[in-house]
Amino acid sequence: MDEKYDVIVLGTGLKECILSGMLSVDGKKVLHMDRNKYYGGDSASLTPLVDVFTHFNKPKTKEYGRERDWNVDLIPKFLMANGQLVKLLVHTGVTRYLEFKSVEGSYVYKDKDKKIYKVPADEREALGSSLMGIFEKRRFRNFLQFVQEYNEEDPSTWKGMDPNQSTAAQLFEKHGLDDNTRDFTGHAIALYLNDNYMAGPCKDLIRRCRLYSDSLARYGKSPYLYPLYGLGELPQGFARLSAIYGGTYMLDKPNCEIVYDETGKAIGVKDAEGVMAQCDAVVCDPSYAKEKCKVIGKVVRAICILNHPVNNTKDAASVQIILPQGQIKRKDDIYVCVVSDAHQVCAKGFYLAIVSTTVETGNPEAELQPGLDLLGAIEEKFVVVSDLMEPTDDGSTSKVFITNSYDATTHFETTCDDVVKTYKRITGQDFDFSKVKHTDESTGN
Amino acid sequence: MPRLKLKKKKKGKAVNGRKQELEEPSSLPPSLRMASGVPNYKIILCGEYGVGKSSIFRRFLNNTFTTENSKKSTIGLDQCTRPFTIGKAEVKLTLWDTGGMERMSFIGSSYYRGAHAALLCYNSNNKETFSILSQYILDIVMNAEGAKIFLCGNFADGEGKDKVEEADMDTFMSECEDVLSGVYDVSCKDNWGLQEMFEDMAKVLHTDAMNRATIRRDLIRPGETPELDEETQGKKRCC
Repeated sequence: MDEKYDVIVLGTGLKECILSGMLSVDGKKVLHMDRNKYYGGDSASLTPLVDVFTHFNKPKTKEYGRERDWNVDLIPKFLMANGQLVKLLVHTGVTRYLEFKSVEGSYVYKDKDKKIYKVPADEREALGSSLMGIFEKRRFRNFLQFVQEYNEEDPSTWKGMDPNQSTAAQLFEKHGLDDNTRDFTGHAIALYLNDNYMAGPCKDLIRRCRLYSDSLARYGKSPYLYPLYGLGELPQGFARLSAIYGGTYMLDKPNCEIVYDETGKAIGVKDAEGVMAQCDAVVCDPSYAKEKCKVIGKVVRAICILNHPVNNTKDAASVQIILPQGQIKRKDDIYVCVVSDAHQVCAKGFYLAIVSTTVETGNPEAELQPGLDLLGAIEEKFVVVSDLMEPTDDGSTSKVFITNSYDATTHFETTCDDVVKTYKRITGQDFDFSKVKHTDESTGN
Repeated sequence: MPRLKLKKKKKGKAVNGRKQELEEPSSLPPSLRMASGVPNYKIILCGEYGVGKSSIFRRFLNNTFTTENSKKSTIGLDQCTRPFTIGKAEVKLTLWDTGGMERMSFIGSSYYRGAHAALLCYNSNNKETFSILSQYILDIVMNAEGAKIFLCGNFADGEGKDKVEEADMDTFMSECEDVLSGVYDVSCKDNWGLQEMFEDMAKVLHTDAMNRATIRRDLIRPGETPELDEETQGKKRCC
């Protein structure tokens, strides 16, 4: 350990592992450590099931099938099939370590009849959906058509809107969409967390709608993918990438401490025994440099074990349900992610449902109730409130580059944005995908 | 139709006729052929840092050997697929290398996922790399359910003070023999025993897969399994 590295990475969460992989590919000498015995940090999937009970300090009194069949995510997210993470997986070749399945359904909650509806994603589905009235359907179809034909480079497709000047609200107004339709378009298709986007430029809304429909077009069923054995496979895949490009891994290293020189610049990391590894830069998640972070909010998540599929989802083995804030009189959406043994994360016959939202009151658990109500009988529930942290130090002088906590979004788009931005802060350049060699051609196949 | 007939005949004596069945490509269960093309078996390399896992990998990859003690020669490479012919059947083996992750830490459960086999390696001239193997067997059993385990002693060319003795081997085998599907001695340096080992593993893995497929094909679920009609029975009789 007492060597000199270019970069020391602390924490093996997904963001840190992607960065570690990217930096190793760049030819940097990387040491990657974690305080836990397992990979993944907050983005780990816990196994066996008893570890989940231990993690939440809860006694396990019942049996839920085979212990090792469980891989329980602490932070639920799905991958957009046409999103940045999938592109990153393909470009880096990490996709060869993983297997995915489509998520079977994407649903949205409508308060008026207290029911969930399949998100209509194309024109045909929009016309067939009972989510909207007959006239609204036609208006919505016209909106989808506009989005499909829109081309940022070609003003003739803008239909009188200015992508940068016109707001999202103005775009809805132009198509005469009512509040319900705006709610599910903005939250279940464009996947905004709250309504702040309404005043922003409409091109962002259009881009997000396109991401949803392009993702849906790739593998059908829903725009979402989920890896077999849980999300914890993702950081491990990128850790492997880092390792085969020369990165060194050390797990089970508690109480590591960043060491600074008199100017406040990081010069190394000292372990619990006082052995120091030197480096030019440190990359870490907020938990390794709390003094350089501030809390910007909280997320509450309830991990629930069910012994039945969620009602009104046609017994789907995996599903996402979004409860738009406008429908439940909140500022932030509530998200429900359901996975099961179809993705090898539960014992047979069981389902894992994770309900999450951004905390708005002093009683976070109660805020999840509208989402929990959709699940039916719950066998076991683990509730956790976590701080959302962001760095107050951009690392330009301290050379400590800190990622943001994982937000409440149900996909990895903001995760990848943060990775790309952090990479640029560290190296001063954009990540060049062409540097990653594809190994397929050299496998003697 | 003749193909189908042939298959049925083989099925009848599957237990004794295993080998013949393998040598007949048309005897592959149609599901296995159509869904996944040529069967592909994932083999992971396991064992202590420095026992020559990457040397074995390199022999598998392009049959080379390097004495250079750097990772440069395998950089970006940890997976390789090669075709093998067993009788008339085409199969593929995909060998996975660890990427050196085991040097300082656990390699991660993801490495083990879906492995059909683990090639457990030790250095024949270093007892320590041998006596720790039971720990690796435990890891494999826990993380790669149902994977076959093969044992490989590398550096079999060498003579050393710390050589793994026959007595050590006997003790180990008395405890672990029934979990092992094959035992090999190889030398990456002198290039012997390696191709034979890969071929034998391909054979063992494929035989096992075929047997399982045969067992599944024979399963009967009353009400769902189509019953024999007169035509097929007639055919059967005339064979």
